[in-house]
Amino acid sequence: MTDPHAALDATVREEWGRLVALLLARHRRLDLVEDALADAVESAARVWAERGVPHNPPAWLHTVASRRIVDRLRAETMHQRRMPLLVTDAERQVPAEVMADPGGLIEDELLRLVLMCAHPALAPEAASALALRLVVGVSTPDIARLFLVSESTMAARITRAKKKVVGAGIPFTVPSEEDLPGRLDTVAQIGYLAFTAGYAPGSGPDLLRAELAGSAIELVSVTDDLRGQDEPVLVALRALMGFQHSRREARVDAEGELVLLADQDRSLWHHDEIAAARDRLMSPALLGPMTVPAAAYALQARIAGEHALAPSTEATNWSRIVALYDLLLQVMPGPPTEVARAVAVAEAESPAAGLAALADLDWPGSHRLPAVRAELFARVGDPESARSSYDEALALCRNDAERTHLMERRSALGASR
Amino acid sequence: MKRYVFLIAYEAGHFDRLTPAEQEPFFTAHQAFSDYVAAHGSELGSAALADTDTATTVRHVDGATTISDGPFAETVEMIGGYYDAELPDMDHAIAAAALLPPSYSVEIRPTVIISR
Repeated sequence: MTDPHAALDATVREEWGRLVALLLARHRRLDLVEDALADAVESAARVWAERGVPHNPPAWLHTVASRRIVDRLRAETMHQRRMPLLVTDAERQVPAEVMADPGGLIEDELLRLVLMCAHPALAPEAASALALRLVVGVSTPDIARLFLVSESTMAARITRAKKKVVGAGIPFTVPSEEDLPGRLDTVAQIGYLAFTAGYAPGSGPDLLRAELAGSAIELVSVTDDLRGQDEPVLVALRALMGFQHSRREARVDAEGELVLLADQDRSLWHHDEIAAARDRLMSPALLGPMTVPAAAYALQARIAGEHALAPSTEATNWSRIVALYDLLLQVMPGPPTEVARAVAVAEAESPAAGLAALADLDWPGSHRLPAVRAELFARVGDPESARSSYDEALALCRNDAERTHLMERRSALGASR
Repeated sequence: MKRYVFLIAYEAGHFDRLTPAEQEPFFTAHQAFSDYVAAHGSELGSAALADTDTATTVRHVDGATTISDGPFAETVEMIGGYYDAELPDMDHAIAAAALLPPSYSVEIRPTVIISR
């Protein structure tokens, strides 16, 4: 690869997390690492264009960034200010060079970085943003767009998270074998939070946000690979997100309107990604004991797999999906699971059976329950009940794309009022 | 080592309503906390606090000292005690706090050094 721009882009994309982790391990200054690395990338754009791509691109960035940090530390010493350091294990070998490393050491630093960001002492939204920034290298404006907040709000959120990490002594370490599964559950939780943020319909069409959801997959994938693709929670979540993300191009039409699963053009699905997700579901990691969150992701992935692998809506194995939802209710009870199960019951048996499954359900504040009821009332031939349920759903729905969809369904009931 | 203060909150009067047999696990839990801290760091201080009906709050309002009966704020849970300890990091602080009686809420606060 000799094109300097392409080489730099690829290095940043592939090595950002490792570079951050290495710089943190050496200098323990969470407040300086990001700026130093950004400076190094900036000078690489200039220098590499002039003198060509260096022999070892990540090592070049590491050296330049490291020098920036040392300069800052010198300036601080002159001003007799000492900033707080990140807490690390006191005695351990820190790899000095990016490529002189035998491999395992840097991977270990990267896992430390992931676990530091995905710490339960940080609010999930803050942990999620911090991990996308430091591990995957997503820019702050892009993270802001993903979570539908302003750039300044997101910048403040990330700064606050970094301050808490250093101030509260959240360590840059790998916990004991006993504590690790719980900590990986947190990694999964914050990864899925970022992923679903990309699919939470924003106001208006924004396909880019679905692409940004891919960076959440990246976060989970990096961690999954670091753990040898052997941790149930990571394997299961990666499969689940793989199935869901494979439909990104089919779920919104040219006008930015939502397209329901049943109406999606299946040729737009990424079938290679579906196959990869299916293979993950076959992993031996999912055959042994697992935590409750891992079981919930695994069951949701199996349900998503039934949809993704069915040749058409009609040919979907709905009774198997109902059976999977019955299992899911045991590990993830609550209205969202109940409603999703009722939709499957309506397909497996009849719309009336679906309505019966929803009969005693209460889900305050959500438009999802009345929206599903409305759809099922329409199908059993009760337009009056359907209309009032659509009204109820519309009163609760805050999202443009979904509102448009609900209004269309409501008017399709017929003109009578 | 980092220094943490563990603020312990619980429902006022709860402990006093328990029988001696029911109180026993509380002593065991506090001992487990102290043992853990001794093994990984050091305990700098601790106290159990009398209930908030004995609290007095001192404030300065418009240049005058006012003294009022009661705590900062009336809440169901009250600060009932604290530990002051040095531990390697937040993970150790969380592990220590988890050893305290399950009826407690424990707030972990890192300390800061304020220099002139």
